[in-house]
Amino acid sequence: MKVSKKMMGVLPVAALGAVMVFGLAACNPKVSRVDSAAVTDLSGNWNDTDSRLVADEMIQDVLARPWLSRFNKDHGKVPTVIVGTVRNLSHEHINTRTFISDLEKSLINSGDVEFVASAGEREEIRSERKDQDLHAKEDTRKAMGQEAGADFMLQGTINTIIDAVKGEQARFYQVDLQLIDLESNRKVWVGQKKIKKTVEKSGLRF
Amino acid sequence: MFLNHAQKMLLVAAASLLLMQGCATSAEKSLGMRQSLMQGRPDLALTTVEQNGETSDVMTNMNRGLLRRMNRDYAGSNEVLEAAKKEIEALYGVSVTEQAGAVIANDEAISFKGDRYEQVLVHAYMALNYISLGQIDAARVEMLQADVKMMEWGETPEEDPFARYLTGIVFEALGEADDARVAYSKAVDVYKKTKSRHGLNIPSQLKSDLLFSLSKTGMNDELQRYKKEFGMNGYKAPATKGMGELIVLMHNGLAPQRDQTGIQIFSPELAGNIRIAIPTYPNPPAYVNQIRLQVSGQQKVLEPVENIDGLARAALEGDIAGISARALARAVVKKKMEKEAGDRGGGLMQLAMLVVNTASEIADTRCWNTLPQEIQLGRVYLPEGTHQVKMDVIGQTGAVVDTYEMPVVIKANRKTIISEHWVAPRPLITAPAESENATTTAANDTH
Repeated sequence: MKVSKKMMGVLPVAALGAVMVFGLAACNPKVSRVDSAAVTDLSGNWNDTDSRLVADEMIQDVLARPWLSRFNKDHGKVPTVIVGTVRNLSHEHINTRTFISDLEKSLINSGDVEFVASAGEREEIRSERKDQDLHAKEDTRKAMGQEAGADFMLQGTINTIIDAVKGEQARFYQVDLQLIDLESNRKVWVGQKKIKKTVEKSGLRF
Repeated sequence: MFLNHAQKMLLVAAASLLLMQGCATSAEKSLGMRQSLMQGRPDLALTTVEQNGETSDVMTNMNRGLLRRMNRDYAGSNEVLEAAKKEIEALYGVSVTEQAGAVIANDEAISFKGDRYEQVLVHAYMALNYISLGQIDAARVEMLQADVKMMEWGETPEEDPFARYLTGIVFEALGEADDARVAYSKAVDVYKKTKSRHGLNIPSQLKSDLLFSLSKTGMNDELQRYKKEFGMNGYKAPATKGMGELIVLMHNGLAPQRDQTGIQIFSPELAGNIRIAIPTYPNPPAYVNQIRLQVSGQQKVLEPVENIDGLARAALEGDIAGISARALARAVVKKKMEKEAGDRGGGLMQLAMLVVNTASEIADTRCWNTLPQEIQLGRVYLPEGTHQVKMDVIGQTGAVVDTYEMPVVIKANRKTIISEHWVAPRPLITAPAESENATTTAANDTH
């Protein structure tokens, strides 16, 4: 671009103005709706797509394995599962509730597995029952000591391995879930999902 | 009405001047906040920095983070530190427009993303917040992020030994003895490698921590090697069965504040000396008060594990060549702008331009100035039960200038971590409820 001599003097001032304007630009956010299955990779961090991939894989796997039919045959009822802790050993603050609830939902809807409220959820239910004991009509009152005990506990971990050099990262996530028989400590199912991504950051920005 | 060229320029210039908020240096703007801290009033300091609502500014969020922490709002602290972290990530790379702005106005046109030592400390303080909230797994996440950050830098002298040490402590608190051992031995390496930046020797506590974790994990060859290296041949792992550990971290004093200094420098382009403003640390490091920990008959003077004062000075020293080069380039551009204004608009325009240029010429004194000057650490094994902890802050004359007293609950095979920031004797009105001082960490596996 050719810049005339006359322009030269104004240029720095104009540029300064532009910088100031850039600095102040607090424009309205632009919102557009997307399908909840669309892949939106923004920062390379763990996101909804990863959570969904994990849930899909785990659901398929857990329903296809023989632990279900074996339990049915031995006990003549569907197994009851409680969700334990999924430990986050990764390098990101990951919300494990999302894929656990996906998993829970599919299992319950399949009709093959029942879930009982987890340790955290139970407290609220119990206090409600206590409350009913005092305030609810007799024929609608729910008795205490009638809770269903779980047969299996779902536990797991999320691990990551990261390799990084200046501006570039390879991220490897591994989610392990397992169902443990509460009576015998036996592991009846182990599910695993691995996800790998590379993230590149530009060394220049505007 | 049509403005002529010069008038337009004057307008732009005046507008720019207004936009630059009077061009006080960052050091001047945060004076009030620092003063409140030095009067032992973190609550007032917090009010000062919280005035302007939510912001994405990294420095503001760093300062809010530490001040909220000092006021025991750990969750709130993490909220703003997380925002700072996200913004640092967004500011990765060199901005073209900001560099241009820095040549015309001043270095504050470049977004502040903290020096590397500050970026690592964001993770460390978030981890400490999570520890205070009892979420040790989340603290672990932060320390892993710090690790990734340092890995990205590659082999640099900016690797932070305290971050490595704290990582080891977090792993140990979670019962991950192998990972703790690796982190401790890394910490030892980094203290040695980066001594020129912080001046600290390997803390003797870290030496025993490493030896202890080596003996716990059965790494006998390495144990012998480190015993020899540390000159601790007589080392025997302490009997800690049925005991818990108290870990005290004292964030002591305040990091130094950058200030601006004008220097004369020769410009070949203008064939003469010109004055540029550069950031400096005008004062020598302040005296760091000692902390004497007393609990159940044991007495210990806390050891420095992070010298933030030293890191800050080393960071500026590393940057100063680039800062001066930019300042020189800027001075030349500004002189040319003044001359141009004078040629076409006359003396008045030249004067107006000079005013704008002089007002906008300030040194970049931005820094995370609520950090402590030093972090000190002490660890003691104690039998299970409630203990009365006393910490005396001992001034330069040897007199006790302030005292912390608090009960702590020690559980077998667990870590109890106390983390305090001391800046000045605390007036009684801000003394927090004592029960809030100690934080027992989450369950940990026994080994």
